[in-house]
Amino acid sequence: MSSVPLQFPAQAAGLDSRTLSRAKLGDIDAFTAIVEAYHARCVRFARAMLRNPDDAEDMVQETFVRLYRALPRYEERQRFEAWLFQILGNCCRTANTAFQRQASRTTRDEEAVERVPSLDDPAAQFDHEWSDAVRRALADVPEYNREIFLLHYIEGFSYEEVERMTGVKQSALKMRVKRASDQLRARLSGERP
Amino acid sequence: MTDAERDPVLRRALDELRKLPAADAAAMRRVVVAAAAARVAPIDGEPIMLRPRRGRSIRMWMVAGIAAASAFVGFSLRAAWTSRVDVAQPLASPTPAGGARPILRAVSAPELEGAAIPHQFVLENTGAHRISIVGDFNRWNPASAPMRRSSDGLWSVTIPIVPGRHMYAFMVDDSLLTLDPTAPKARDPDLGTDGSIIIVGRP
Repeated sequence: MSSVPLQFPAQAAGLDSRTLSRAKLGDIDAFTAIVEAYHARCVRFARAMLRNPDDAEDMVQETFVRLYRALPRYEERQRFEAWLFQILGNCCRTANTAFQRQASRTTRDEEAVERVPSLDDPAAQFDHEWSDAVRRALADVPEYNREIFLLHYIEGFSYEEVERMTGVKQSALKMRVKRASDQLRARLSGERP
Repeated sequence: MTDAERDPVLRRALDELRKLPAADAAAMRRVVVAAAAARVAPIDGEPIMLRPRRGRSIRMWMVAGIAAASAFVGFSLRAAWTSRVDVAQPLASPTPAGGARPILRAVSAPELEGAAIPHQFVLENTGAHRISIVGDFNRWNPASAPMRRSSDGLWSVTIPIVPGRHMYAFMVDDSLLTLDPTAPKARDPDLGTDGSIIIVGRP
């Protein structure tokens, strides 16, 4: 497994302002370009955030629908990716609350991440076990810490940006990321990376 | 170097979590179709929107408003019957021959039907060059309702709005969304930020 240097991918994958301006005016081709640029990242974030990762595709669709409706209000001084992930985070938190209330549904985070196909290849099996362990460990991190951890370390937003997105002070954000990191490290230290 | 970079276990976990899922063209197509179906693009110069966008909350207010208005009509008619005055006559009209001036006026048909009611928005800002009102009632289109500036720095505009709960803000110099300092605010589910709230036609 190759190591990827820590970076801020959110800053690397920016859309040009013309595409955003056209999308604001309702240009469906420009909006399609936005979806193509961010869909995979949104699915990755939603799968890690949601109590039921199977809902990730639906939640991403809901996010883009909201985004498209709200695009005329988008202020270009604000970074587009921050705005997109702010909407996505809201959607995921709402979905998690709704999922909790559904007594009839019994799928828990642990059960959801355990559904891994059996593989004959030992190397692939090993990767799946590690992936499973990581996702299970992340699912145990409280939602309010997990979201900040994902925004900062996985989606690459700076603490300043996360503060603007969430309204939480940077000192508190750093504490949450540290707690999430400590919890992940403790859970995974016994696993074979 | 961050903690994550120093710790090999955490670093491997981050590598795992950073893996992107494969691009799903069919899912992206579904997203675009769903989004296009959910939004009508704003068109400069179009009339102020007469249909509320947020279905659930607006419908609740409209139902409550119509129920209240119906009760109001009933009360008005009863008052008119007992005092024998013409309830349909507006307050500003001459006093009826009997000397009794109607205290209540009947609710007009457009109000009952949820037709737009003129509402004036005012904002004090001496430094702005251009301000417009944007809200769900005009699809957040800054070109729909530019405000006029008076000599004392008061900006105002009067626009028709359908009864119900609406979210809005002021667009200052085409770039800065500003909340109304005189209005309550609420969280906007789309933007994830606050917007000003107005309730139009509430009895």
